[in-house]
Amino acid sequence: MTVRTTTWTTPQLWAGRATILVVFFLLWEQAAATRFIDPILIGRPSGIASYLWQEIFVTGSLIKDLGWTMLGTILAFLLGSVSGVLVGMVFVTRPTVEALLSPILMALNAMPRIALAPLFLIWFGLGIGSKIAIGFSLAFFIVLSSTVAGGRGVNPDHITLARTLGASDTQTFRKFVLPSAVPVIFNGLRLGLIFALLGVVGGEIIASEHGLGQTLTVLAASFKTSGVFAVIILLALIGVCITWSMTWLENHLLRWR
Amino acid sequence: MNHRAPDAIVGNGAFAPAASGRAGAVHIHRVSVAFARLLVVDDISLGVDQGEFVSIVGPSGCGKTTLLNVAAGLLPADVIRGTYLVGGKAPESGNRDVAYMLARDALCPWRTALENAELGAEIRGVAPGERRQRALELLDKVGLRGFEDAYPKALSQGMRQRVALARTFSLDSPILLMDEPFGALDAQTKLQLEDVLLSLWQRERRTVVFVTHDLSEAVSMSDRVVVMSARPGRIIADVRITLGRPRSVRALQKDLAYHELYSRVWTKLEEGLSP
Repeated sequence: MTVRTTTWTTPQLWAGRATILVVFFLLWEQAAATRFIDPILIGRPSGIASYLWQEIFVTGSLIKDLGWTMLGTILAFLLGSVSGVLVGMVFVTRPTVEALLSPILMALNAMPRIALAPLFLIWFGLGIGSKIAIGFSLAFFIVLSSTVAGGRGVNPDHITLARTLGASDTQTFRKFVLPSAVPVIFNGLRLGLIFALLGVVGGEIIASEHGLGQTLTVLAASFKTSGVFAVIILLALIGVCITWSMTWLENHLLRWR
Repeated sequence: MNHRAPDAIVGNGAFAPAASGRAGAVHIHRVSVAFARLLVVDDISLGVDQGEFVSIVGPSGCGKTTLLNVAAGLLPADVIRGTYLVGGKAPESGNRDVAYMLARDALCPWRTALENAELGAEIRGVAPGERRQRALELLDKVGLRGFEDAYPKALSQGMRQRVALARTFSLDSPILLMDEPFGALDAQTKLQLEDVLLSLWQRERRTVVFVTHDLSEAVSMSDRVVVMSARPGRIIADVRITLGRPRSVRALQKDLAYHELYSRVWTKLEEGLSP
């Protein structure tokens, strides 16, 4: 069998995708309008659109909540990734420390984080602090394990070369171990950012003053299904933007690959 | 004792104290290397003079790479017996008198060709301007002008090994240790790179210890070819290559004297292989 590749151009592909979505939303609208399926269950695309219009451009409340969620996500991600990379680097360079701490951290990571959320709420309150804590606790371990994996993946030839050149431990680390770990760490960062968002939104759903997760629970509790879908679509868009921007950054920083 | 005297046709295979103190000389006297009771190198004595190009050939596993790794200080001292002096000093990793070239290019994929060529000098603390100048000059010499800013992924195997040559020669070490640097290349590229290596060497006349299993490579480039037996490795011949300098490896392919020397060394190698 021959391997087939698409003969469509990029604009053709995008037009195709748009057509699929338009048909999907039209069918959805029709199903809700004719009460083929109760709109309480599935909302209505027109309702989603008018909710988004209202809350983004008229009251602006969705923008404010989006801001809270993104602030929490970014802070959780920054704290989690910086400490994950640092601890990971200590593990790579100090095997004794890793042997000592790794099982304990593994046990911590095995705990379902959402079950810790009530505890974080008691400790850090209803505000953004508890959301950052949950997001951090997810992002940290992902970045940590990818950093350790990356640090381990150094080419043995590079270590031999470093030794014959008389490189110090610091030089070996800075010039060989760290750069060769960067691509693997990047995969961890990409996942870490997604999981930071997951932790923050999860925390907001459980109990919060602001944020898209909190909006989601309020809307669902009052059966405003179109609003729920609107928030979900917004969250999906954020996820896509995060993945795209990380890929862009990766291609930019790791041109050598 | 089962030590056989090396069958030295010509050369200074035996103890050569006069040469041992010089900066660029390698002096090996009655050296044995054993890993956990496995004897890899058995009672070898070999002197390499300053500025000499010496190849060590032998079957796989004969300990020729081990011999080189000892010189580079890559093996723990407790597996080595005998006297081993590199530039008059005991082997030590990071010895500035030594530049080591591996069988694989070991380029850093995140560095450009120029940055890779600079790497050795950079680690040894050569000033940025000076090392860049030297690296540029060497990239030019190995035929990579115009590829300074290329990343290794964009370079062919042969070009990558040219960069590794430039990295090795950009060090000012008087002794170059090379472990089958052209082993992974196709025949044509190999001939080209052998000539590149010879032209670099002929400019500066540093000491080269070149390990290979390719006899034609050894004969065409060296001043002396040392033939080792199968494990445990012993020296069974030390042949002086009386071809003139400067040489072209490609021109030698049709040279009668070259082929005669080749068959002499080959006979020695065969004797060592037969039990």
